[in-house]
Amino acid sequence: MTDSPTTGSPQPAGTASTVQAASAADAGALHCPTCGTAHPAGASFCEACGADLSAPTAGAPLPQASEAGTVVGSATPQTAPAGEESPLDVGWTGAVPSAAVAPAAAADDLTCRACGQGRIVDGYCDHCGTPPPDPRNHFVETPTSWVGGVCDIGRRHARNEDAMALSAAEAPGSRAVLVVCDGVSMATDSHIASLAAAKAARSVLDQPFPKGVGTRDAWAAGAGRALTAAVTRANEAVAGSVVEDVPNPPSCTFAAAVVEDDVIVAGNVGDSRVYWLPDAAAEPAVQLGRDDSFAQEQMAAGVPRIQAENGPHAHSITRWLGRDAPDDLTPHLTTVDATAGWLMVCSDGLWNYCSEAEELRTLLHEATAKLDGAATPTTVAEALVDFANEQGGRDNITVALARLAGRGSRTTTEAPAAAAPEEGIPSDG
Amino acid sequence: MADFTAEVFQNEFLPDGGTDVHAIVRVTSTGASAGDGSAGLTDPGSAAEVILIDTSGSMGRRGVQAAGEAAKAALGEIVDGTLFSIVSGNGTAQIVYPYSHQGALVPMSAHTRGEATRAIEGLRANGGTAMGTWLTLARQIFETVPHVTKRHAILLTDGVNEGETPQSLQAAVQSCIGAFQCDCRGVGDQWRVDEVRGIASALLGTVDLIPAPEEMAAEFEAMMRASMSRGIAASELRVWVPQGAELLFVKQVSPTLEDLSSRRAPINPLTGAYPTGAWSDESRDYHVAVRLPARTLGQEQLAARVQLSLGGDPVAQALVKAKWSNDDSLTTRIDPAVAAYTGQAELATVIQEGLAAKAAGQDDVATSKLGRAVQLADQTGNEEMTTRLKKVVEIDDADTGTVRLKKGASKIDEMSLDTASTKTSRVRR
Repeated sequence: MTDSPTTGSPQPAGTASTVQAASAADAGALHCPTCGTAHPAGASFCEACGADLSAPTAGAPLPQASEAGTVVGSATPQTAPAGEESPLDVGWTGAVPSAAVAPAAAADDLTCRACGQGRIVDGYCDHCGTPPPDPRNHFVETPTSWVGGVCDIGRRHARNEDAMALSAAEAPGSRAVLVVCDGVSMATDSHIASLAAAKAARSVLDQPFPKGVGTRDAWAAGAGRALTAAVTRANEAVAGSVVEDVPNPPSCTFAAAVVEDDVIVAGNVGDSRVYWLPDAAAEPAVQLGRDDSFAQEQMAAGVPRIQAENGPHAHSITRWLGRDAPDDLTPHLTTVDATAGWLMVCSDGLWNYCSEAEELRTLLHEATAKLDGAATPTTVAEALVDFANEQGGRDNITVALARLAGRGSRTTTEAPAAAAPEEGIPSDG
Repeated sequence: MADFTAEVFQNEFLPDGGTDVHAIVRVTSTGASAGDGSAGLTDPGSAAEVILIDTSGSMGRRGVQAAGEAAKAALGEIVDGTLFSIVSGNGTAQIVYPYSHQGALVPMSAHTRGEATRAIEGLRANGGTAMGTWLTLARQIFETVPHVTKRHAILLTDGVNEGETPQSLQAAVQSCIGAFQCDCRGVGDQWRVDEVRGIASALLGTVDLIPAPEEMAAEFEAMMRASMSRGIAASELRVWVPQGAELLFVKQVSPTLEDLSSRRAPINPLTGAYPTGAWSDESRDYHVAVRLPARTLGQEQLAARVQLSLGGDPVAQALVKAKWSNDDSLTTRIDPAVAAYTGQAELATVIQEGLAAKAAGQDDVATSKLGRAVQLADQTGNEEMTTRLKKVVEIDDADTGTVRLKKGASKIDEMSLDTASTKTSRVRR
């Protein structure tokens, strides 16, 4: 019985804690850096305010001692009181560049983003119980000032099976790649497969295309071949994301656009979409390419869009990437000479709530106006994701945007030299 | 020093709108046994035992003689060095040993064991039964040794508490909570199970029936051996739930059923502590139920942190989680451990209610409750309980719970069914 604690009999709690507090103060053992309550040495978090006490001390009793402990180990115990961190700083601002404030930033990482009051102590907040957000559930890419996108889990799904991969050169309109893949939710590990597909496609499309004779049409033809190759590589990536034959192999859609010197080439397989939304009202807003879906087939047969897209099998797609993909994966290709306007690549999580290109343009213009001077591709994409979530967020939502200034007045041309997949005969064989 | 582990059995998936999380937390201690030397009784003053023997007139000569034999058997199990005392109780309580000049407690040795044995042989049956006075004296005895952390008593009775009001018994029990643990045994069929269970339950002990005086010695020996093996004195279960959550209940479900909810002592607004009593090398299961505000599908939340704490320091922790999902195959599953203990808790309730109704002459209620008990025992394959039930009811159809109250069922059989109702069978993983 020599090991038995002497202060812990269940009954005289009041006196015992007073004694503990006094002895802790005598020894200068531990005071909560946030509220000042004294604690016995070895306490892992403040029982008065919930602040993490493990960081400045050695030998915390629980194995879940915060990671910040290693970072601020040499700092004084008064470093970075948790209560002074702004609970509003919940954005994806990344690391603070200054080395001097790095420990404070590390401590801030443990502040719960859900309630702003508690701390992440063992993988969960000690106030509201929420785990830190899975970065896969909401991520933002802003490769440059004129290209950005947001990929979000939505409100109803347990996993974000949408994926997005963007890249862009700095000079506006010079070169950009936007890829969106939507994983099929009934399949195994579609969230892994879709991201692998998007990244594989981007790496293909990042390569410079052969200029050929140097004309715009020659470049567009090369871009079309590259998009077809990107689909092939993405398809391999999806198939390769699972080891063996699983009963329900992962699959996903594909939608991508390449911009070079204000010429857009878009391609898609499945029901993720590319839209061209020019600023000028005189110029029509259009979907580039078309869906591979049951709804699209119905519309082709004369059923109105509203009815087709809300029918019982509206979301059944007729072509997809994956181990069980159909043989013909040639993307629907479209080339556009951009004027001033917005290029959008998105998943059905957005267009379910706003399918018509003209309506989508109106929605985007409203979002831009509301953001006023703060409108960037990323902030507009966030606003559109918010819109879809406000409508119910029934599916994962991805919106990728490129802001184009345009260089000429050439009009949109549907599926020019590059390919004519509508007829099922790829032009490049 | 003892090692504690905590593991959790639960289905963490909740359906859309689901709010209630149930989990079984199994706490296991190793190296806590006093017999293995690591937490051994090297310090003579670290444990104290008081034996309370009923010497009321109803015990009769044979009864008191048997009780004396039982007390002697218990003395044989008390490890040398342990402080001990023998109290005889009827309408009042008296210390039988040690002799008044020796104080209230003496360390066990060959010499004191011999003296105590002789003192017990002088006991005579006489007077009434006022258990509150016995408990109060036991508390006063323990209060003379405030430094002793492990305090345990054995109470033996054969009759109904009639020398004092229920209120004064209740007040005495309340004053003893936290002062010592008490295992209670009733001999014969003249005592009231619910009355004695109330004492044992409040004082973190067990209750059981000893059918005949001759069986007392073996029972006392076993009880004392169990007490001696407990090396860890002061410990508590701490349960944290997130801000906004409601802790529905905390129950010990194995080895015996005990609703701990009302014993909560607040640690902070989110955390409560529940005394567990002393630990040997053993495993105990706790059923924790938490009601959370429903979150949206795909969200995750920590529903509870369940810790075992020694002297205020958490030594083991289990995390109870909640994840909202629209996948029915995940959300409709009930964890086998949760289901089994929920069933056993219901079984105990209907047995106790059924027997109480029978005693009150409400045969309809008794038949229906005990019928349900037969059905539950049958469904869960609880053969021991089915056997006990068969002594009280005639089973026409176990499947539907159709029974008739048995004419001439013995009081002892009813009482043994009652005391056995809270003993659960361990659920295996």
